[in-house]
Amino acid sequence: MSKATKDRAQAKRIVEQQRAAERRRQVTIWTSVAVVAVLVIAGLVGWGIAAGQEDNKTANLVTPSVAVDDGTAFAVGTGPVKIDVYEDFMCPICGQFESSVAGTIDQLVAANKVTVQYHPIAILDDASSTAYSTRSAAASAAAAVGGKFAEYHKVLFANQPAEGSAGLDDAKLVELGKSVGLGDDFAKAVDDGTYKAWATKVTDTAASRRVTSTPTVKVAGTNLQDRSAAGLTAAVDAAAQ
Amino acid sequence: METGLSARRAVMLPWVSTVARLGLAAVWLIAGGLKVGDLAASGRAVSAYQIFPYDVAKVIGAVQPFLEIALGLLLLAGLAVRLSAGISAALLLIFIAGIISAWSRGLQIDCGCFSSGGELGAGASPTYGWDIVRDVGFLVLAGILLWWPRTRYSVDGILMGDVQ
Repeated sequence: MSKATKDRAQAKRIVEQQRAAERRRQVTIWTSVAVVAVLVIAGLVGWGIAAGQEDNKTANLVTPSVAVDDGTAFAVGTGPVKIDVYEDFMCPICGQFESSVAGTIDQLVAANKVTVQYHPIAILDDASSTAYSTRSAAASAAAAVGGKFAEYHKVLFANQPAEGSAGLDDAKLVELGKSVGLGDDFAKAVDDGTYKAWATKVTDTAASRRVTSTPTVKVAGTNLQDRSAAGLTAAVDAAAQ
Repeated sequence: METGLSARRAVMLPWVSTVARLGLAAVWLIAGGLKVGDLAASGRAVSAYQIFPYDVAKVIGAVQPFLEIALGLLLLAGLAVRLSAGISAALLLIFIAGIISAWSRGLQIDCGCFSSGGELGAGASPTYGWDIVRDVGFLVLAGILLWWPRTRYSVDGILMGDVQ
């Protein structure tokens, strides 16, 4: 090969390399732009959907007339010490808590020592195939409107379905309501899902107060660590001082 | 670029990177897919870290699953792999920092990595150590792609004119 041919070949190779490098640069720029665009759009979609869900919540919201604490809880008793109980009717530990302290709470209420504010939140919808948490919380709101929250709350925990099951169906929720003396208005509210959006709102309000697990029990605003009957009584006595 | 590598490594590396790319894509698609069905719960999971005000946590919780799915799809397609891997690594570092932060403050939460549950279930204890180990594993996948972004069966490869 002559020197001239060699030089020509080398020059050609350099030009090709430069072209390839330029092509790679262009591809890198435009694919990067595409990636950023896709991620921004995905983020906006998420934001948009979440905003839509927020609107839905407020659009369908029916707040039970008897609800206290910004319409997010039901009060039992009229005593001076305030107890806040955040429960999910699906949550097994809530069931255990209820069975161990329900008697103590009844006594404290009867002795006019405490006001118990129940916040029926729905954070375990995934634990049943029928979003039992939301449906049961909504049903408890209907029971409260019918003046039977305390009774219905008890009977729901007494009949608590297992985690991972289908939960109790609406017919069973109505039947349990009838068993504590609730009537047709209650049945209609359960069937229509009147208070489902409200259950979501209560959950939202609880989350904004950093209530991330159930049961969360607060005595006079302070988290109760020892959730036994003795622990509760001691905390109430301390708060009453 | 391959001139410094032995011919054997030059053949093998794109395959290693391809496995890393598809693995990381699967991680994001699964992580996002498990959360996208309940954005409110995803928001609560973010809120459980007690780092952001609840309203901010809600937005992050809503946006995050979509970002994860989008990243998964981008990696699956192999588009701008180095950038996608870099963003993945940045996200993973943020997640690891969040878990360490929750751990150091003694919070009793589920990391919400592959679920939308911020609250721990019946008597469960946190598994922060394992969560971090797992995320570091994913970080290694992202690292492989950051160093060797050329993979087989990728849009990048087609656009660059690589031999497939």
